[in-house]
Amino acid sequence: MPEWLLTTVSRAVAVSTPLLWAALGEIYAERTGVVNLGVEGMMILGAFFAFAVAQTSGNPVLGLSAAAVVGGTAALLHAFVAVTLRANQYVSGLALAMLGLGLSGVLGRGYEGTPLVNTLPEISGLTYLGFALAVLLWFVLYHTRAGIVIRSTGESPAAADALGVNVYLVRYLAVVFGGLLAGVAGGFLSVAYRPSWTEGMTAGLGWIAIAIAIFSAWDPLRAVWGALLFGALFHLSFRLQALVAPEALRMLPFAFTILVLAVTARGRRGQGVPEALGLPYTSGEK
Amino acid sequence: MRWLTLFMVVALVGILVLPSGAQQKLKAGFIYVGPIGDYGWTHAHDVGRKKAMAKFPWLETIYTESVPEGQVEPFIDKMIQQGARVIFTTSFGFMDGTLAAAKRYPNIIFAHASGFKRNPNMATYMADFYQVYYLNGLMAGALTKSNKVAYVGAFPIPEVKRHLGAFALGVRAVNPRATIHVRWIMEWFSPTAAKEATEALIAEGADVFAFTEDSPTVVQVAAKRNLPSFAHYSPMLKFAPQHVVSGQLVHWDTIYIDFLGKVYSGRYNAENLSNVDYWWLLAEKAVELGGDMGVPVTPAWRARLQAVTVNTPGLGRMNVYDLVMRRLEQMSRKPVAFDPFTGPIRDRKGVLRVPAGKTMTVGELTSMEWAAPGIVGPWPREP
Repeated sequence: MPEWLLTTVSRAVAVSTPLLWAALGEIYAERTGVVNLGVEGMMILGAFFAFAVAQTSGNPVLGLSAAAVVGGTAALLHAFVAVTLRANQYVSGLALAMLGLGLSGVLGRGYEGTPLVNTLPEISGLTYLGFALAVLLWFVLYHTRAGIVIRSTGESPAAADALGVNVYLVRYLAVVFGGLLAGVAGGFLSVAYRPSWTEGMTAGLGWIAIAIAIFSAWDPLRAVWGALLFGALFHLSFRLQALVAPEALRMLPFAFTILVLAVTARGRRGQGVPEALGLPYTSGEK
Repeated sequence: MRWLTLFMVVALVGILVLPSGAQQKLKAGFIYVGPIGDYGWTHAHDVGRKKAMAKFPWLETIYTESVPEGQVEPFIDKMIQQGARVIFTTSFGFMDGTLAAAKRYPNIIFAHASGFKRNPNMATYMADFYQVYYLNGLMAGALTKSNKVAYVGAFPIPEVKRHLGAFALGVRAVNPRATIHVRWIMEWFSPTAAKEATEALIAEGADVFAFTEDSPTVVQVAAKRNLPSFAHYSPMLKFAPQHVVSGQLVHWDTIYIDFLGKVYSGRYNAENLSNVDYWWLLAEKAVELGGDMGVPVTPAWRARLQAVTVNTPGLGRMNVYDLVMRRLEQMSRKPVAFDPFTGPIRDRKGVLRVPAGKTMTVGELTSMEWAAPGIVGPWPREP
């Protein structure tokens, strides 16, 4: 294999890891009808706590576990506002994104400028686990009863409710699961990808994960391709600078990934938006 | 009578003691473009603010972080309402907003970092790195084995082009066969982009790294591949103790302390700042060579630099470590005995940019768009 191809593939795999974890979580949340725009906030909280715990304990895996718990807890807040209080999900998610960025910034004072001693390799178990998780989540979503419950909650919560599904519980679980994954994605950034803490270090990756979730038509397997494609193009956007203007190249991964996912998603099974996406549900109301 | 005497004594003591005891305070406001936790530009300004606070007991400060560049004016209004008499705005993009505010508040003193517009009540200031980049370039030129030196740049604007140009002149002064490969990330802060740009440069065979980005990412990525690098802006030696050779460090406190001291003493007021432009370099101790404070060249790299000997016009044959120290000493004098941008210098297209015997002026440096010879890679708006 030529050198550039090999490098591009390995960089694509490394960059796709955090995007895939976060996107998979967002797919499950949105499949039950809850949009969570707070991915960036949950990721950065995960990044900070993973770093702080890994630095204090010397154990990066413990750091990642802390990141998962923190991400899940932050998502719980969104679930409470969006599901129980039935507030506007978009506003609540945006608030969570800002809260996460601000809170991690304040808590992180004093942690910036210090390196991490024990780190995880960039392409590690987390990467392979991400791919395995995508397959598993895809299987659960399309081939199990749990998947039917999840999808029907997002398509028609009233019908699911009538069939005895606890819509609130399903939504809570999916949102918290999404937060857990986003937290791990953030943790990966601060203990493996670039082992240090800097305020705002997620630098927009959470928003890209949301875009991948949406433009992969909420299909976990397609999210894998979306994340890998973005990673490859992101690397190539620097590699090709000798040939193409850097301003144009820097847009390439963003524009091209969304274009490809949007075009190929047409006419696929379950390609539509979950019917009840973004709509609060009240049991017993029409 | 006794009461009157007592009253007189108390009043006299009061007049004599109180004003000197309760010194007049000066409140300064700092407007930052990024978060103070960025470990780069804003972090460095905030360190400067704190050092000024520690130096002057009469100084009070307030600050606001992460102010969007187009929206500086309402933040200035708020600080003035809070009693600030001096306002520092610390990003190029704050320039026009600061000038507009300076015209609206003729009695308030303003100082704007990295810009070029002034007013009777608005000064400008900058701690510039070009000399330090030249010194880093000398070392990079000696250390490269592949003859490919890497530079990860933030934005292709004159400030970064000047630093990259000085760096390239340094590389070529020691190693005329070396090329300097640049990749632009189009962000001031983006660890992800800086990381992938570094990976791309490594894949292309570059083996020494310098950069402009507000995180230690480039240093960390290079160290992982066992490659040397030069730190930028903050002490980054601890992120890669074996691999950071040197770097650029800033001391904004020197400027803040000088400026605020002169404001407090009355030497600077809201009418005489039209020509106050701090362009502070090595000689003023506003910038420093090194990957950590007080470590101009990491000791582990000293022998490697001493092993390379070069012939320098005017200085003769000497090893690169001595050359770096000599140039550092020459540029730390006032007036400087050496400037990297002294002609004759042709750009990479062969156009004569600095005639023999001439040195670039501050105005030319701050508007520099051409690429120094040896630079390989895209160069938007190349003349």
